[in-house]
Formats: sequence, structure tokens, C-alpha cells
Amino acid sequence: MRDAYKIDHQLQLITAIKDNNSIALKAFYVSNYPKIEALVLKNSGSQDHAKDVYQEAFISMWNNIRNESFTPQNDSALQGYLYQIAKNKWMDVLRSKRFKSTQPLSEERSLYLSYDEINEDEDYSEKLNATMQSFKDLGQPCKDLLKTFYFEKKSLREIASELKIEESSVRNKKYRCMEKLRNTVLASKS
Amino acid sequence: MKDNSNISQELLETVERFYNGTMSKQERLNFELRLDEDSQFRTQVEDIKTLILGIENQSLKEQLDTFHEDIPKSSPTKPSGFNFSNIRKLAAAAVILIAITSVWYFMTPQTDRLYAKYFTPDPGLPTTMSSNANFEFYDAMVNYKQGDYKTAIEKWEAIKVKNDTLNYFLGVAHLANKNEKDAVAFLEKATQNSDFTLSNEAFYYLGLAYLKDGNIEKAKLNLQRSTIEISQALLSALNN
Repeated sequence: MRDAYKIDHQLQLITAIKDNNSIALKAFYVSNYPKIEALVLKNSGSQDHAKDVYQEAFISMWNNIRNESFTPQNDSALQGYLYQIAKNKWMDVLRSKRFKSTQPLSEERSLYLSYDEINEDEDYSEKLNATMQSFKDLGQPCKDLLKTFYFEKKSLREIASELKIEESSVRNKKYRCMEKLRNTVLASKS
Repeated sequence: MKDNSNISQELLETVERFYNGTMSKQERLNFELRLDEDSQFRTQVEDIKTLILGIENQSLKEQLDTFHEDIPKSSPTKPSGFNFSNIRKLAAAAVILIAITSVWYFMTPQTDRLYAKYFTPDPGLPTTMSSNANFEFYDAMVNYKQGDYKTAIEKWEAIKVKNDTLNYFLGVAHLANKNEKDAVAFLEKATQNSDFTLSNEAFYYLGLAYLKDGNIEKAKLNLQRSTIEISQALLSALNN
């Protein structure tokens, strides 16, 4: 019974993360950071390193929840998963050239060298990065509209009433913004 | 991403429906069939998906920085060496602190100090939402546990059918939200029914609410009616 409750809690958390519920995202983000900060600080990193590696890991976790490549097996599954991704990412940093040339390789760190990393589809992540960069630089009105619709998952009607315009014009605007974003991505590649 | 094929508004919205799972079964089947057979269509769909994911990823990334500001800082600062100016500053700070504390101590009535010492909000009920018909109640409970009493109160007050448990938590939430008048009203209701499982707690918080409101007699009366230990402890502190 108790275990069923725990899994249920994980599923609830995952649903909330899938919906980009900002309260749930924030609570999960804040509560899991200290462990990863401790790991990085203990292994020759700084607080800035910890923040970068944690945010990267958090976004990977979020993506893997979205594409269903992660399903919880027990109550702390997601927390453990996030920790593992962050740990792997920090190892990558440690074994990268720049870091190695400035830091002597301790025994502890050379242990990490044998670790396997998760291979990401290079081509796909390149596309995704190009899109993220283009979206970052997109004009504010389009950026806000697309963010509200696709990330915060507000309906066209809600957005229309907030902006005090017709629902149909929100719909057209959204389409034009997507076109604009797409063209910027295409232009950035040529 | 290829630019030889323009993406129509219709296709964009079809992919959105596919993506957020609002397609009908039939539409979904047709869509998946076409995905399998038509490679150009598949590329277009992939492109749109990448656009949407890119928007979401970048939005999330930008949000994480604001989350990060709320993480309590673990201070990595090393203790600096002692020197006389530091000691002087520390001493000055200590004197000021002592002065402020003692002023505060003598200015605030004893009841407020007791209240501050004894009041911690009820930890709340476990929230398992999945099979629960009472979604609104537990939804607000999540806010309550996060310390967002205002939202919890709004959501609970919107529930039409009130029961003892609801009145009890509304009372405690109002008290935590520094609104003892409303807290008294809800807790009075919650203490009407002697069969209520949380009635000891309800009397205790009602006593606290009256204490906060400055009504010592009623505070004592209600604390007396609660058998929990902390209530008795507060009562004897009040009597001294």
C-alpha cells in the first residue's frame, strides 16, 4: 500500500513536470540542488560549475520525461536519475581537455574516466540548439506569445482575453511567429 | 530543417493536436499512418516538433535562472583573520542587537511571545490525488503545505460543501496567514462537533487564535478543552 502511494507520488510529480507546472518545477529544482552542489564542490568544481552542470542535467531530465524515455521504478527514482545525469555531466567536464590541463588528475577523478556516457543524437541536438538560440533572440512579442502557448500551455482563448484581442488574431499571430522562428533557424544554418 | 516545403497553418495545428494528445482516435490513426508512409510529411512533422521543443527548452532554461536565485546560499566564505577593527565592529553590532532585542522583549506583551513560541501550522494531510474525488481540497492542501496560505484559503473557500476538516484547515490557514479573526470563526465551527477526529487540535488552535486576538479568557477556555500535551503546556504558561 505504502509503496503504491510512493509510486503514485512520483507519477504525480512527473505529470506536473510534463505540464511545466512552474510551482512543481521550482520545488523540484530547489530541493535537489544541494546534493549536486556538494558533489561538484567536493570534486574540484566551483559553485558556478555546479549551477551550470545542474541546469544542463535538469533540462536533460525534463526532455527525457517528455519523450517517455524515463519511467519511475521507486519513490526517489526521479531524484536519483537527476543526480546521475548531473554526475555524468560533471565527469565529462572533468575529463575534458581544458579542465585536465589546469587540474592535476586525482585518483578519484581518473576512476570516472571509465564511465560510459549517454550518447545523444548529434544531428538532432544541433537542430535543437539552433532553434533554442533563434528563439532566444526572437523579438519579445513573438517570444512571449510562443512561450505562453507552448511552454505555459495556455489556451488561445486565455491568451486572447489576457491580451484583449480576438482569439483568431492570436491564432494567426502564433502562426506568423512560428514562421518567423523557423525562418531564423533556417537562416542561421546557411 | 529544409526550406523547400512551407509549413501551413493547418499542418502546424495538426501537429500541435498530435503533440498534446487532443486528437480523436481516428485522426490519430490516420496521422500515424501518413507518418509511416510519407517521408516528406515525416520531416515536416519532425521540424515542427523541433521548433516546439526548442521553444520549451529555451523557456525552461530561462526560468531555471530565476529558480536558482531562490536557492538558499551555502556560504563558502572562509573565516577572515581577526583584527581589531573587526572586533570593534562585531562588538558594536552585538550591543545594537542586544538593545533591539531587549526593547522588543519589553515592548511586546507576554501573550504575543507565547503565541510566537507555540504557534506552528498543522503539518497538513498527505496528498494523494490520483483516485481522490475530493480534488479541490487536496489541490489546496498542496498550496497549504508549501506555505502559500493565501492560495490555499482561496481554493478552500471556493468549495461549497464545508465539513469539519475543511473548517479546521481553513482556520489554521487563516491563523498562519495572520488573520486571527477569520481563524476564530472557522475554528469555532470546527469545534462544534465532538466526534471530529481533529477536535483536540481544533481546540488548541482556537485557543491560539484567541490568544493572538488578545482574548485571554477564551484562549484558556479552549486550551482546557484540548487534551494534547502542548495545549496543556501553553495553558500552564498562561496561568503563570
